[in-house]
Amino acid sequence: MIPQLVTVRHRRPNGRSLPLYIPVLPVLLVLSPLLLLAVLAVLAACLTTRVNPVGVLRRSGQLLWALPGTRIEIEQGRTAVLVSVK
Amino acid sequence: MNEQRRQVLQMLAEGRITPDEAERLIDALDREQPESSPGATRAKPRPRYLRVVVSSADNFGGDGPGRVNVRVPLQLLRAGVRLASLIPPQALSKVNAELNKSGVPIDLTELKPQHIEELIEQLDDITVDVDQPDAKVQVFCE
Repeated sequence: MIPQLVTVRHRRPNGRSLPLYIPVLPVLLVLSPLLLLAVLAVLAACLTTRVNPVGVLRRSGQLLWALPGTRIEIEQGRTAVLVSVK
Repeated sequence: MNEQRRQVLQMLAEGRITPDEAERLIDALDREQPESSPGATRAKPRPRYLRVVVSSADNFGGDGPGRVNVRVPLQLLRAGVRLASLIPPQALSKVNAELNKSGVPIDLTELKPQHIEELIEQLDDITVDVDQPDAKVQVFCE
């Protein structure tokens, strides 16, 4: 399943927390022109280095699909950062 | 009555098998039954995540103790390995040369994707605990 929501939460030393919710699909849609350029650049790089471009795209997709469930929490004293992919 | 036994009796009723065949099939089902009975020990569910927890009592910068908690789906590791297997050999030889320069003589071209896949498969059973007075590291699958 493609990631749907990325949550980034930053707790500052003063205890205030700043949550940031990133809906992946709308962001991808907004950035789709740039993504198209990026895909073209990847394809060109694949052809230059003689790597199978279909394999690269397929495995990049698998990587993206496997992201949900990832959770990274880093705390240092009263400061903390949480990144969660759902 | 379980579904398979019912199917055997149904086939017997329809005349598709003889009573002797039905008896043999039911005997075979009975032999299989103890292995698949509900009372038997259930297979352990496969872990889905690799978890790394690091707790440190060190007071870096006077900010208090630190803690890192990372949960990575094992599927993500597999996907990463598959993607990394596409790195062209010329790039790997450059990496090898740099590793050698840094005093890490590892030949990455010898590291085959299927070996890494096997390694990830066996990660299920791994548990690493490092305990120090001021720090603790735990790596396990859940």
